[in-house]
Amino acid sequence: MQATLQEYQFHQRLCARDDPIAFAELAEWLYSGLLQDVRTRAGYRADPMLVEEAVGQALLDYHEQPDRYDPARLSLQKYLVMSAYRDLQNASAKEQRVQAHQVSLFDPAFQFDELIEDIEGLKSIDEQLAVDELWAVIDETFPDPVDRGIVELIVNHEHASEPYIRLLQPGDLPRDEQVRLAKLAQYRVARRLRRHLAQWLARAHTRAHTGGDAL
Amino acid sequence: MNHYQPSLNRLALLARERPLLLAGPLHLYQEQEGLGDEQLAAMLGCEPESLSRLALCERPRPAPHFRQDVERIAAYIHADMLQLAMVIRAAESRETLSHRQGTTRPTLLAARDHDESESKLEEPQAPDTTDDEQEDDTR
Repeated sequence: MQATLQEYQFHQRLCARDDPIAFAELAEWLYSGLLQDVRTRAGYRADPMLVEEAVGQALLDYHEQPDRYDPARLSLQKYLVMSAYRDLQNASAKEQRVQAHQVSLFDPAFQFDELIEDIEGLKSIDEQLAVDELWAVIDETFPDPVDRGIVELIVNHEHASEPYIRLLQPGDLPRDEQVRLAKLAQYRVARRLRRHLAQWLARAHTRAHTGGDAL
Repeated sequence: MNHYQPSLNRLALLARERPLLLAGPLHLYQEQEGLGDEQLAAMLGCEPESLSRLALCERPRPAPHFRQDVERIAAYIHADMLQLAMVIRAAESRETLSHRQGTTRPTLLAARDHDESESKLEEPQAPDTTDDEQEDDTR
């Protein structure tokens, strides 16, 4: 099915690059529906945060390269659902490899200590401001209280599974299943934490070297 | 087990990594100025809920389109146009400065797209760039 009239109009606006609100309006219009469609396609067990991230990246990728989409061949909604679902499958496959212990512990997502060393290095700049700003970034990135708790455990060098399991409250599952869930949650949160903190650290270091006033 | 609720805020957060959108420079501006969403919204004269939609707007094009683009964005989020223009200029200046490691003065960046017909929009110094800061930026 090709693009609807409204989709086609949005597509034209985005390609023209002369309307600064076109993408925001498109996102407002499509975002909830895309989440629902991808969630339905992925099944009820799909991690809602991964689904939302996949949908978000699909929309943002489309915005950056709208010419990759051909409105004559497919509806925009379908195109974005397919794109998000493909990303989601890749992310899920990686998590399954973690589950099967096939991912190396040298995977960057597991190198928490290096990340924490970076954070602690900032304390020499201005300890209290750096720490406050860091937690503000974490609060914003992890609105879910369980995820926020997992971040605290990671930042506090907690390697044992038990504290993660207590946070996740997985119910009456067998012990090995609880450990597996804890590992998956830790991996998912660490990956997101790493990406957002890397950006923040880069900015913080730049400010520190240029005499910026925020740290 | 998971209390997660979807919202455009999450999309705006992801958008910070996308150079065509306002999310990145606005976040940097908030971060460096120590402004929360409520404070930024008050400065712009809009609702805090509008900030995620603002973050998803494209950066205004340079003059002669700058004014027109800012007007369009301001109307979309119901914000004060002049305040929005100043915040965008300041945010983009700060972003450029952080990339160039302080080699360019913010007033020069803000005036880059100067146009007589847009003097009211283009000329004002960013609210965050005091004389003292300009001194600092040249060090």
